Amino acid sequence: MTRTTILAGYAVIAAAAVLVQLVALRSGRLPTLAGAVRAVTRWPPVRWALVAGWLWLGWHVFARADL
Amino acid sequence: MNDHHGVGQEAEEHRHRERYRPLALGGLVGLVAYAWWATSLRPFTWPSVVVVLATGVAAIAAGRLVPPRPAPPLPRPAGVAVWAGLAAALAAWELAAWLRHPRADNPTLSSLANDLLDWHPLRAAAFLAWVVATAALARR
Repeated sequence: MTRTTILAGYAVIAAAAVLVQLVALRSGRLPTLAGAVRAVTRWPPVRWALVAGWLWLGWHVFARADL
Repeated sequence: MNDHHGVGQEAEEHRHRERYRPLALGGLVGLVAYAWWATSLRPFTWPSVVVVLATGVAAIAAGRLVPPRPAPPLPRPAGVAVWAGLAAALAAWELAAWLRHPRADNPTLSSLANDLLDWHPLRAAAFLAWVVATAALARR
């Protein structure tokens, strides 16, 4: 895979996400991203796993220290 | 029929918002200033780790303090599966890139974000967005 191929892959996934969000907002046939997240985070174990993952992401992006 | 109670209630709510508007604006300015400062700390140092993690924990606590919202109707599982599929595709693509080297030719989202977030204003904005999203995720 070349750099261009990898970047194209990210772009395709991002475009698909935007399309799904637009369909959700316009037609209501699909949940929005927020709606999907709210649905899966009804269950506390899933919610706390997501929160832990999100905390890790913040640490990785903004602190990136080797512990 | 005149709904005087409705008019009175609207006026009360308007006064309530006006009373707390300076506080809300001050809080927002404070948050932006904090995000600017927090992202000025040098990465790969203990101060930046402590500040980021402490901020994350504070955001979780703030999210838990907000009164729980009424549960919206559950979307159809097929709809949620679409988003799950996109997340899985992203994770798989990221993994495929991460397993390959050199990084310059096989960029991960992190490596792409590094370049973008080198610009301080964008880094501060991203940090602020991360804090808000953390609180929202932790909210009941």
